[in-house]
Amino acid sequence: MVLSVAVVLAYVVLLTFVAVRARAAREFEEFSLAKRALPLALVFGSLAATYVGPGFTIAFVGRGFNSGFLFLGIGLAYAIQNILVGLFVAPRLRALKNCHTLGDAIGQKYDRKCQILAGIISVGICTFLAAVMAHAGGVVLTDIFNLPSWSCVTIVVGVTALYTTFGGLRASVITDAFQFSSFAILLPITLLFVLMFHLDCGAAAFAQQTSVATVEGFGSVSLIKIVGLVAAFLLGETLIPPYANRALASKTTHISRNGFILAGIFSVVWFMVMISLGITARSIIPKDTAEDLVLLKLVESILPASGYALLLVVLVSVVMSSLDSLLNAGAVAFTQDIVKPFAKLPDKSSLKIGRCATIIIAVIAVACAPAVPSIIDGLLICYTIWASAILPALIIGLWIKNPRPLAGILSMGVGTLVAMIAIMFFFIFPSIIDVPAIIIPALGSALLAYILGHWIASIKSGA
Amino acid sequence: MELLIFILVIISALFVIASGVWVAIVLISRNRRVE
Repeated sequence: MVLSVAVVLAYVVLLTFVAVRARAAREFEEFSLAKRALPLALVFGSLAATYVGPGFTIAFVGRGFNSGFLFLGIGLAYAIQNILVGLFVAPRLRALKNCHTLGDAIGQKYDRKCQILAGIISVGICTFLAAVMAHAGGVVLTDIFNLPSWSCVTIVVGVTALYTTFGGLRASVITDAFQFSSFAILLPITLLFVLMFHLDCGAAAFAQQTSVATVEGFGSVSLIKIVGLVAAFLLGETLIPPYANRALASKTTHISRNGFILAGIFSVVWFMVMISLGITARSIIPKDTAEDLVLLKLVESILPASGYALLLVVLVSVVMSSLDSLLNAGAVAFTQDIVKPFAKLPDKSSLKIGRCATIIIAVIAVACAPAVPSIIDGLLICYTIWASAILPALIIGLWIKNPRPLAGILSMGVGTLVAMIAIMFFFIFPSIIDVPAIIIPALGSALLAYILGHWIASIKSGA
Repeated sequence: MELLIFILVIISALFVIASGVWVAIVLISRNRRVE
């Protein structure tokens, strides 16, 4: 216990040192886009650190334990999404001038009303996702300190909000890179350690466990659920505000493109490592272990106490690196897309508003954290709303020549409404509907609304 | 086949470690330049 606390405290001190060295942001351009000077390694490291949250670590190890390589196939959809964004969307976003957020991009392509609506959706999504991360951070810290859950949530969010408020995007990216290095080195070392020293019969035992688990996995998941999960992984996390900010903050359009492509390739390899950890756990821990506890139980049973403490540090890193990006992206969207369209602000005032917004979003995240149903459900709900609300308007707007504001507004409005109604339906009748499946009708109706809006606006302008 | 999967998993782990080391090196060298 004492050792665990010491390791976590040492890690927090080291992280604070890294954040302090990133210096406080002195202007809004620095707070929101790190002066558009990020090199490839930092764009890639920060993107990977942001998407590798509790879902892509704890949950993926659990899924590997129960369903083998089934989820590697589903994870491929996520990699493809990143690579497609890198090839076709990120360079176009980066090429836009005076663009700080996705709302800005939508505002430039449609009109101010669309920008404000996109800003409201961005701030809402960042706040809910931050609440999910705060909930996950609370779960990990409660395991270390044995403190009440609310105080653990407050510690995680408090430390993260502190460096994000002062350092803005640059502090977030630099601490992300540090956190990325710690978990990208320590978790695969854990896997290699298990493969070398804890797997009787080596390759043969691993291959046998892999095939048994994968067959079990295919037997336990329905086809419609697999289709819904592939859709959620393919579209749900596409260009959420923190990713868009990294695309916009890259030094050049090439770095923006290559950062996303590398992050996409990395995700496949990462899923492979996480799922393999889950598969190796099958011969080490009891079969009835709860999915979210597989990683913790595995490490607890194979490593000494200090190793277990180190893993908890890695998990805190995983949570904080996603949380800081969300706090910063939400604050920037609030300032740029909701406040700035109504008032011309001097740079210093924008910076102050951005900092205040970071703190307010952090406080709301702490307050909402206890209401999060589970990590995976919380994430899927946010992705469903985001994909249907923003993606059709954003991607079509970046690609067609004369996008119509009516199409943008209708698509965002209908997409948000249908997704939220379907999610409420899920809470009332959880046995009838699966969260991953909601994305399909919600996205379909947003696309239909876009086509309808475009058609009506074309008729009006032609008349 | 068994050996192939095993080797693939080990290469994946090494690739992830190499990515972490690369980002750490860039971060450290950048800090030195700032100094």
